[in-house]
Amino acid sequence: MTNPADPSDKGSIRDRLQSPVPSSEANSGGDSRHSDLTDAGFQQTDSRGALHARGHDEGQQGVPHATPVTHAHAPLDPALEEAKARAAERKIAGLFLASFASVIAFFFVYFLAPFKFTEPNNIYFTPTLAVLMGIALGGIGAGTVMWAKNLMGHEETVQERHPFGSPPEERAAAAELLVAGAQESQLGRRSLLRNTLLLSGGALALLPLPLLFDLGPYAHKERGLATTAWKKGMRLVRENGTPVRIGDLGLGSIDIVFPDVPGGNMMADAPTMLIRMQPGEFKPVKGREDWSVDGHVAYSVICTHLGCPVKLYEQQTHHLFCPCHQSTFDASNGAKVLFGPAARPLPQLAISVDADGYFIAQGDYHEPVGPSYWERKP
Amino acid sequence: MTEGRAVTSTKTGPSRFQRLSGYAVVLLALALVGGLYTAFAAPKSNAADSTSSEQSMAVKAGRELFLQGCSTCHGLNLQGGAGGPSLIGVGESAVIFQVESGRMPLYAGTVQAPRKKAKYSIAEIDQLAAYVGSIGGGPSLPKGALNDGQLQMGGDLFRTNCASCHNFAGAGGALTYGKYAPPLSPSSARVIYTAMQTGPESMPRFTDNQLTPDEKKAITKYVEFITKAPQPGGNDLGRYGPVPEGLVIWLVGIGALVGLTLWIGARA
Amino acid sequence: MSRKKPAEGVAVWIDERLGSSNFVRRSLNKVFPDHWSFMLGEIALYSFIILLLTGTYLTFFFDASMHEVVYNGSYVPLKGVTMSEAYASTLNISFDVRGGLLMRQIHHWAALLFLASIVVHLMRVFFTGAFRKPRELNWVIGTGLLVTGILEGFAGYSLPDDLLSGTGLRIAYGIVESIPVVGTWVGFLLFGGEFPGHVIVGRLYSVHILLIPLAILGLITFHMMMIWYQKHTQFAGPGRTEDNVVGSRFYPVYSAKAGGFFFLVFAVLALLGGLAQINPIWLYGPYNPSQVSAGSQPDWYMGFLDGSTRLMPNWEFRGLGHTIPFNILVPTVILPGILFTLLGMYPWLEARFTKDRGYHNLLDRPRDKPVRTGLGAMALSFYIILLLAGGNDLIASIFTFSVQTITWTLRIGLFVIPPLVYVITKRICLGLQHSDRELLHHGIESGTIRRLPSGEFIEETVGLPVPYQITITGSDPTARPALHGAAHAADGLGDEHAVALPEDHMVVDGQPKPRGFFRDKSAPRPEKGQRPEATAPELESTGQVRRPE
Repeated sequence: MTNPADPSDKGSIRDRLQSPVPSSEANSGGDSRHSDLTDAGFQQTDSRGALHARGHDEGQQGVPHATPVTHAHAPLDPALEEAKARAAERKIAGLFLASFASVIAFFFVYFLAPFKFTEPNNIYFTPTLAVLMGIALGGIGAGTVMWAKNLMGHEETVQERHPFGSPPEERAAAAELLVAGAQESQLGRRSLLRNTLLLSGGALALLPLPLLFDLGPYAHKERGLATTAWKKGMRLVRENGTPVRIGDLGLGSIDIVFPDVPGGNMMADAPTMLIRMQPGEFKPVKGREDWSVDGHVAYSVICTHLGCPVKLYEQQTHHLFCPCHQSTFDASNGAKVLFGPAARPLPQLAISVDADGYFIAQGDYHEPVGPSYWERKP
Repeated sequence: MTEGRAVTSTKTGPSRFQRLSGYAVVLLALALVGGLYTAFAAPKSNAADSTSSEQSMAVKAGRELFLQGCSTCHGLNLQGGAGGPSLIGVGESAVIFQVESGRMPLYAGTVQAPRKKAKYSIAEIDQLAAYVGSIGGGPSLPKGALNDGQLQMGGDLFRTNCASCHNFAGAGGALTYGKYAPPLSPSSARVIYTAMQTGPESMPRFTDNQLTPDEKKAITKYVEFITKAPQPGGNDLGRYGPVPEGLVIWLVGIGALVGLTLWIGARA
Repeated sequence: MSRKKPAEGVAVWIDERLGSSNFVRRSLNKVFPDHWSFMLGEIALYSFIILLLTGTYLTFFFDASMHEVVYNGSYVPLKGVTMSEAYASTLNISFDVRGGLLMRQIHHWAALLFLASIVVHLMRVFFTGAFRKPRELNWVIGTGLLVTGILEGFAGYSLPDDLLSGTGLRIAYGIVESIPVVGTWVGFLLFGGEFPGHVIVGRLYSVHILLIPLAILGLITFHMMMIWYQKHTQFAGPGRTEDNVVGSRFYPVYSAKAGGFFFLVFAVLALLGGLAQINPIWLYGPYNPSQVSAGSQPDWYMGFLDGSTRLMPNWEFRGLGHTIPFNILVPTVILPGILFTLLGMYPWLEARFTKDRGYHNLLDRPRDKPVRTGLGAMALSFYIILLLAGGNDLIASIFTFSVQTITWTLRIGLFVIPPLVYVITKRICLGLQHSDRELLHHGIESGTIRRLPSGEFIEETVGLPVPYQITITGSDPTARPALHGAAHAADGLGDEHAVALPEDHMVVDGQPKPRGFFRDKSAPRPEKGQRPEATAPELESTGQVRRPE
C-alpha cells in the first residue's frame, strides 16, 4: 500500500499554484492527499487503530501526480494484524465461493426443475431461483464491501475544492467573444435577417404539431362522449348475451347489463346496472316516474367522478359505493351523491318491458355518462 | 394465518427454509398491519360431509334445536320478533349460511354480524335448515358437489359479480359507513354458495335466473381456487394489491438497504 | 517497465489516442466523503440500472398490442378467455417463460425501490441543506427525476392491460378529460379516441421503453456529472471545511464499496422478486370496463394523488355551457403542480427568506435549522396523510372502521396535523440545540466530586472532545477559512437559535487559536474567482490542524 511518491515528479502544489497560469489539475482532483488529523478525538483515521506519526511525510503530501500516499502504519503487532487480515480474507473468499456455488445451483434449478405452474410443487421454482440469485449477487456484494472495509483500510483523504465560478476576467473574455461573434455575424445590424430567421424558426418549431393530429380521430368527439350505444327498444342483456326478463331478479338483486349490440359488453360507457328493490322503498326523481318498472331501476355503472364501475350495491341501505374514491350514491333516490368526491348522481337509464317480458331501454341516457369534461352541458 | 395457506395445502410439505424466508419478507409489513390477520383467524368449518337422515326426523330435531337456540329472537313459529326478523320463507340456504359461518346466533348488535366459530355441528345445521325450510320454502342447496364447475367461467363471473366488493382474490373490502365485504378465504363451499343464493345483509341476492346453479358452482370453484390453491411468485402479501407492496418496499426494501448503508459506512 | 503487461499495453494504446491518463488519474483520486446517508441516492441509480436490465429482458417477450386473442397458455383459470395480446403475453412471461416471473417481479420491485430511494435521498438532501448554492440545479434535476420516475412507473404498470391497470387508465383518462378547454382533445389524442380505444397500450409502451427512460438517463447523467464536478458535500468534522472534501478516494476504497453495494441492492431486489408476490395480474384478470376490484389502488408513488382525490369534496362548476370539475382538477392536476413546483423552487425560496446566497459545501445538522427541518417535517406529514388517504378503504376493511369516518378524519387532519408537526419539530430542534449548548459550555460530567476550600462540593467536568465540538458548532474552529464569504452569514433559518459562541471559546486550552486552516484568515478576503493562493490551499500549513492538547 505504501507508495512513496516521486518528489521529482512535478514540484509541490505550491510551486504549481504560484505559476502564472493556474493549472486545472491543481484544483480539480489531482491533489488528493492523506490528512494527518490525528488528535485525541480523531484517531480513527487508520482502520487498524494505529496512530499516525506526527509531522511525518510533509514532503510526500505535496506530490500530486502519484497515487496519494497511505501512511506507513506502525501496527502494534504485525503478526496479529496479519492474522486478522487472513481471517477476513478467508471470510471474503467464502462469500465469493458461496456466490459461485449459487450460480451453479441456479443453472441446475433453471434447467432441471419443473417450472410450469401446473406441475406439482412448482410454486417453489421462482422463490428458489430468487434465493440462489440473491446469494449469487449478495455474496459478491458483501464480499467486495468486506474487502474494502477490512483489507483496504480506512482512509481520510483530503481534497481541495476548486472555486465554483470562473474568474471575472474569464467571464469578461467569454462575454466579449459572444458579443464579438454576434457583431461579426451582423446579427444586430441586419434586423431583417434576424426577424425573418426568428419567424421561420418559430414556424419550423410548430411544423411537427400537425403531425400529432392524427393520433386521435376528433370527428364526432362531442357526440362520442355524450352518447352511448343504448337505443329505444334495445334489450338489456347480461355479459354472456342472455336478455334479462322481469322476474329474473329477486328483491335485493343487482345485474350488470349491456346494450344488445355486438361487442356491447366491452363498451366502456354502456355498462348499466339493473337493481330490484321493494317498489315502496324506491323514490323516483320527479319527472322520472315512468323510468322504472316495478321497483326495477337502471343506472349507469360508470362513476360520474372518474369513471370506475360503481356496482358495490348494498341491498339493505341501497347505497352504491365506488371502490376507487369512495363516492357513495343512493340507489333508492335517483342515485344522488351521499358522500365522496363525485359531484353528480349516476345517470339513470329509462327502462320498460317489452311484450315478451324482457327489459328494454326507452332510449339512450339523457345526459353524458361518466366523468365531467369541459364541453359537457350543465 | 392466510399467508400460510398457500403452502400448507400442498401435498409435500414446504421446506422450512422457504417458508421462513417467505415470512421474513413480510414480517415487518405484517407487524404494521397487525390486527389484519387476527380478523381472518376465523375457524374453517369442518368439511361438510352431512348424511341426510329421514327428512321428517331432521325437521323434528331441527325444531328442537330451534326452540332452544333461536326462538328467543325469531319467535316460536319463525314469525320473528323484537330481536330478529321472521324466518318464514328464507329457506334452508339462509340457515346454512348464517349458522355455518357462525354469524347466527348473534350476540351483540354491530353494524354487521361478524363471522365466528360455528356453534352447531354440520348435522345440527342441516337439521335446523330442514326445519326452517319446511315452513314457507325458500332456496335450498342443489344436489351434487357445490364446487363442480368450470374454472374459467367461474373466474369471469367472479370478476363481474363478486370482485367489486370482495376484491380480486376474495380478500374482502370496505363498504359504506363501517360495513364491509368479508374475506372469502375462511368460507366453505356451502357458505359461499348459500351466500349467493340468499344475499345476506348488505350483499345482493343472485337468483337462479341471474346465475344458474352451474354458474354458482363455477364461482364457488373459482373462489376455492383463488383462496386456497398455491400461487407462484412467493408470498402473496395478503392479496390487497399495491398497498402492501408499498409497505414492503418501504419497510423491507428501504429498511434492509439503509441497514446495509449503515454497515458499509461503519468502520471495520 | 521492462515487461509490458497486456493491460498496460491497452492503456497505453488508448492513452496515445485519447490522452486518457490525466482524466483517469484525476478520476481515480476523486475523494468521496464517508457517510451512510450519502449512499441513499446510489440505491436509486442501481435500481435504475436493474430496471434497464430486467426491462430489456421483458421486452423480448412482451407484446404491446390490444388486439384480442384467446388465451391458451398454462394458467388454467384463464384458458379460453378472450383478452388483449398485452395481457396474454404478460401471462406468458409469468407462466411459460422460465424465470420470466422472477424477472417481472424484480422489475416491478425495482420500480418501487427506484422511487422510494429517490424520496429517501430527497429527504436526506433536504434536511441537511445539501441543495443550497451551488447545488440548486441538481436539486431541480432530482425533482425532475422524481416526476419522470412517477410517470414512467405509471406507464409501466399500465402495460399489462389487466383489470387493475385498466382501472388506473380509466381514471387517468378522466383526469385528462377534466382539464378545461383542451381536456377532451388531449384525451382523444392520447387514447386515439374515446376510452379505452385500441392504441393506448402500444403508445404507453413507446413512452415507457423509449421516451421516458431516455429522459431519465439524460437527467441522471447530468445529475452525476454535476456531482462529479461540484464534489460531494460533507458534514462538519475535524479538518473539514467549506473548501475541501475529506473521505476516501474513488479508487480503490470507494469504488469497491459502491460496486459491492450495487450487488447488494440487486440481491435485495432478487430476493424480493422471488419471495414476495407483486402485481399478480393473473388474479386481477383481463381488463373489462364493467369490472372492478374492491380496493383498487395505484402503486405507492401515485398513492398520494389517489389520496388527495379521495379527500377532495365534490366541488364542480357548472354553468355558461361548460363544466369544470374541481373535484378532479384540484387534487390531481393543481395540487401536484403546486407541490412539485414548490419542491423544485425550494432552494431559491429558502435563499430568498434567509438572504443566504453563499456557497455551502458543509452540511447542516437538521436541528441547527429548526425552520427548515420543521417545514420538511410538515411537508412530509402532509404527504403521509395523503398517502394514508390513498388506502382509506383498506384501513377501513382491515380495522373495520367506517370509510366515511376515516375520510373525514383525514380531511381535517390534512390541515391540522402539518402545522402541529411544524411546531413540534421546531421545538424538538431547539431543545436539541439547547442540550448541545449545555454540553459545549459545561462539558461532560466526569463523576469526580471535588471539595472546594470553601467546603462546597462540585463535580468536575471534562471539556467536550474537539470532534464533538465541531459537530455541534458546525465548523472546525481551527479551519474556518470562510472562503465563500456568506457561508456563515446570519441565516434566518435558525441561526438566531444556533449556538453562538465567542470564537475563542472553542479553543480548548486557552491558547489563541490559529487564524485559519490553510492560511491566515485575518488577511483581507480575496474577491471571488481570484484563483491563485487566495483560494488554493497551501498544503504545508496543514500542520496547523493539530490542536494543542
